[in-house]
Amino acid sequence: MGEITEFLTLMIPAMVPFLLAAQGTVLSGRAGVFNVSQEGLMVLGAAVGFLVSFKVGSNTVGLGAAFAIAALFGLVLAYMTTQLRLDQFVVGLALYFAALGAAGLLYREVIGVTMEPPLIPTLDDYPIPLLSKIPFLGEVLFDHDLVVYAAFLISAVIYWFMYKTRSGLAFRSIGENPKAADSLGINVTWARTWSTVVGSGLVGVAGAYLPMVYTGLYTEGMVAGRGWLVIALAFLGGWRPHLVVAGAAFLAGMEVLALRAQVAGIGIPHQFVLMLPYVATLLVMVFAFRWARQPAFLGRNYDRESRLVG
Amino acid sequence: MTEQQPPRLEMRGVVKTFGPVVALDSVDLEVGRNEVHGLLGGNGAGKTTLMNVLYGLYRPNAGEVLLDGAPVSIGSPRDAIDAGVGMVHQTFLQVDNYTVTENIVLGTDVSGPLRLDLGEARERIRELSTRFGLTVDPDAVVEELPVGVRQRVEILKALYRGARLLILDEPTTNLTPQEVDDLFGSMRAMVDDGMSVVLITHKIRETLSVCDRMTVMRDGRRVETIERADTDADHLAQVMVGGSADPGDLIDATALGAVDAEEVETVVSSVREEIGVTAQGLVVVNDQGHELIRGFDLDIREGEIVGIAGVAGNGQVELAEALAGVRPVRSGSVQVGGRSMCGLPTAAWLDHGVAYVPEDRHRDGILPTASITENLVLGSQRSPRIRKHGLIDWGAAKQRAVDAIEQFSVRANGPGTPAGDLSGGNIQRVILARAFAHQPRMLILHNPTRGLDLGSTRFVYEQVRAATAAGCAVLLISEDLDEVIALSDRVIALYQGSQAGEWPHGSVDAYEVGRSMTGLGEARV
Amino acid sequence: MSETMTPAPPAAPAPPAARPTNRVVEALWLLVPYAVSVLLAFVVGGLIILAIGRDPMAAFESVLTTSFNTRFGTVETLHKWVPILLCAYAFAIPLATGKFNIGAEGQLLVGATGGVALGILWSDLPTIVLLPCVLIAGALGGALWSGIAAFLMVKFNVNEILSTVVLNFISFQLIDYVASHVWPDRGAGHPATVRVGDGALLPGIGEAPPFHSGVLITLVLVVAIAVFMRRTPTGFELRAVGANLRAAQVHGIKTSRLAGAGLVVGGAVAGLAGAIEVAGVHGKMLEGMQSNFLILGIIVGLMSRGSMLALPVVAFGIAVLEVGAGSMQRTAQVPVEMVLIIEALILLFLLLSDIVRAKIRGQ
Repeated sequence: MGEITEFLTLMIPAMVPFLLAAQGTVLSGRAGVFNVSQEGLMVLGAAVGFLVSFKVGSNTVGLGAAFAIAALFGLVLAYMTTQLRLDQFVVGLALYFAALGAAGLLYREVIGVTMEPPLIPTLDDYPIPLLSKIPFLGEVLFDHDLVVYAAFLISAVIYWFMYKTRSGLAFRSIGENPKAADSLGINVTWARTWSTVVGSGLVGVAGAYLPMVYTGLYTEGMVAGRGWLVIALAFLGGWRPHLVVAGAAFLAGMEVLALRAQVAGIGIPHQFVLMLPYVATLLVMVFAFRWARQPAFLGRNYDRESRLVG
Repeated sequence: MTEQQPPRLEMRGVVKTFGPVVALDSVDLEVGRNEVHGLLGGNGAGKTTLMNVLYGLYRPNAGEVLLDGAPVSIGSPRDAIDAGVGMVHQTFLQVDNYTVTENIVLGTDVSGPLRLDLGEARERIRELSTRFGLTVDPDAVVEELPVGVRQRVEILKALYRGARLLILDEPTTNLTPQEVDDLFGSMRAMVDDGMSVVLITHKIRETLSVCDRMTVMRDGRRVETIERADTDADHLAQVMVGGSADPGDLIDATALGAVDAEEVETVVSSVREEIGVTAQGLVVVNDQGHELIRGFDLDIREGEIVGIAGVAGNGQVELAEALAGVRPVRSGSVQVGGRSMCGLPTAAWLDHGVAYVPEDRHRDGILPTASITENLVLGSQRSPRIRKHGLIDWGAAKQRAVDAIEQFSVRANGPGTPAGDLSGGNIQRVILARAFAHQPRMLILHNPTRGLDLGSTRFVYEQVRAATAAGCAVLLISEDLDEVIALSDRVIALYQGSQAGEWPHGSVDAYEVGRSMTGLGEARV
Repeated sequence: MSETMTPAPPAAPAPPAARPTNRVVEALWLLVPYAVSVLLAFVVGGLIILAIGRDPMAAFESVLTTSFNTRFGTVETLHKWVPILLCAYAFAIPLATGKFNIGAEGQLLVGATGGVALGILWSDLPTIVLLPCVLIAGALGGALWSGIAAFLMVKFNVNEILSTVVLNFISFQLIDYVASHVWPDRGAGHPATVRVGDGALLPGIGEAPPFHSGVLITLVLVVAIAVFMRRTPTGFELRAVGANLRAAQVHGIKTSRLAGAGLVVGGAVAGLAGAIEVAGVHGKMLEGMQSNFLILGIIVGLMSRGSMLALPVVAFGIAVLEVGAGSMQRTAQVPVEMVLIIEALILLFLLLSDIVRAKIRGQ
């Protein structure tokens, strides 16, 4: 296997957590809800996904449970911001803390202190018939676990929904000008609620994927800031699902590069190599905030009553 | 053929109150088919309120609405749209990064929920736009379009939804004369096509040039409905005032009329020889980059009050902010007390004695959660007057606040009261106290008495006179023509960012000013 | 202090609904939502503890009393109070201008790096020289770190939330490098630096176990920050920007530069916390020394809702809970994370109290 093939083959699954979580962030963001609890939701998703898989013996159920618990947090965020109109950022932070606490509590309750850390089986690869036989491309793209395919499919569906359907046109208008949307009979609260619930669920799945893909182990710091990086990713991609795919490839590439450089021992202390994804994000943000557009009403609550005032 | 048919719109006995304020007092309105109907009146006459009731934005307390003879119940804009009523507001409700077509079809059931085929819609928009002369590219992104074209989008939005009755709220405010002509042409095309149009305006000339009939409103009541053929500008102006032929009262037609003329004492002029403020060739743009002040020249002598009369939206905010050093000028120069000020930071203007009393007191004037004391310090926190050993001397500041509360009769529990808890008049007193605290060289007042009670209004006037007596150059920008005329040593009419006339105190013909600031000035009557 | 301005960041509430005539009643009114929120959070927390089959009363008893039962508990509480409070300032000072600093842990670690560097390099110097140098180096380190975010924000309009967070993760690698390559303590079995010179250590105060004098420095800082925010023109301008950005601009305040300055000052305070942790608690720098001070600082900052005077008090309360958490786990077998959940609940209930208060006011 060539160096490039191997790199790309590793990069594709590394994209998955970024992809799922960032698409979830973009989904609610385009309706104007700026969720900042991603880091917490990913940690919680990882914990719940791992624990349920461990107890039930099914990774699928684990992924479903991670979706459900994160979606529940999303529902709280949606309710508190659309109905009670509390500050999105502050509520998001509070939910981040609560999710961190819940993750730790659940792991300690279910597993306790053990000598041998519990293990779950990692996800099986499902090579796609025929396609996986294509030289190079087949190996890189079509020989992965099902979540990989799902992540790309979900990205495509979100893109199709937003840009290729009438409902998507209405949906996106909410994040740009909810007053205009409301005046044309588009239900702002409903759109914000479902997109926040589904989007948060995807973030949870992104977290649950982490213990299932590499080691089968759950460790406390395993999310390692990816939840924050996906917010940066949403900005970098201009809150557009197709550009987010490119951004996820970039971040995943940096991550794989850092790991491989560490393994290969290229003479630079590995700490500096591990900084790479973060430093790269910081640098890219300098340019991204110049050109990338964000939904005009992102992070702001809509109050119909103020329609007549403002 | 129209005689057998009921009128397009009938509103009967519409009453709308906001708290104790009666905004609409049993108003009737009838709009025929194929008619452009002018709804004419000064600020606060109730014309927009009446149309907001029709469009479902306000719920009336009483009254009924009939469309084509059938009673309708309109509880929301959605109901209004379904009933065939469209309204174009002064501020457009558009998604900036959408195309014209996308904005127009938004919220309709075009193509299907899970498809997005706008081909047909685009054709329909093209057809509507040709039929009514509303030239617009269906694929242009609206944020890149000028105001006039965005307005056409808003009109097309209503037409696309099948509006039979279109309401336009002050549609010409930000349009060029050419755009106004185009708009009026489109309005005629619409009524020729069987629609009805209601034009809300305070500009007499507009109603005369495009309307078939007009209803004049004043103080929330309908005064009269007149056929175009039976009226002229002078007559309309008189109706807007209340039928009196006394030119002294005519100013009410465009003013709020908050103060009776005799309440304001005759000005004792304190104008000095020295020029206090000079501005030359000012060009100022708004936040969107549009030129709202286009080549404005101004001299104010020390002790002189120059009044700027104008209808809101003609560049007043930009002029005030540019002269206060808050908004950079695109070109031109400003000198205050002989010193060139352009390009200096706002703090330098403040230090140099430029005091600004902004129009929007809550947004630009105060820190709502901060105390009166702190609000009085705002802007001079770095001045040696305020500091002792480098630190802000709150003890002294508090003492000054106590004095200011006394001197300016601020009604508050004490200097610690948060400014946001004060009434509008008392907030204005705090802002004035701050402006006058350090003997300003130049004072810019923008709508300084709007929303104030009589006592506060008179108080503001007294303070302004006191300032001029001390040699301060005052620029009074106000939509209250009474106020401008009564206070100013010189009156300048502002229309679309330029001077539309100038009169010294004593030879101001209120009616003439009113006509100049509504764009009638150069027209033959 | 009736004139203390409450800046209005998004988290800050409206003034109390009722307008009581005297100040004592007014102050009590401010406390009601806190009391109710804490109570409700403990009720919900108690239900969760019941649900996992433990005794809530035993858990709460050890959470609330550990700090006061022994001198050791008290000292530990004070030692936690210092970094929690300083990280809370690091969050609250930029928040006064409406900016969110989520980077206190990075700033703390870089501050610690600055402090430990001088403490090791100049280890022979006497306390009187070295200790101030260590503390100043800490503050400068923190200011440098948040300064990067401030620079990116003012110059390139980069969102400060993201830049401060991302800088945290860079700082983790940075201190790991310092602790394993520059001054490693090979015998520690955990990435840590060698110890700083004795002159870099904060003297202990009181009978054994003593508390470090960083507590006193923090007390001085509490006063200094209160004076800074209240008495200096810059402090006033910071608060003005938070209270009404437009009005501040109209009155000559350079709002964007000031927002950057707020971030830098916040970072300096967090950096100082790092140096104090080195000089007072650990005597060296080690991986994980940032603990969860970032989160606790944000919680304290949000709970204090813009009041610089409430911060030390709220921070003390949180320090009590944090010290109690460990003993709760030992005595009542309730995982320590329960405390974090309770803290998040207090915050959420506090936010909800605004809604309730608005409802009461509306009637």
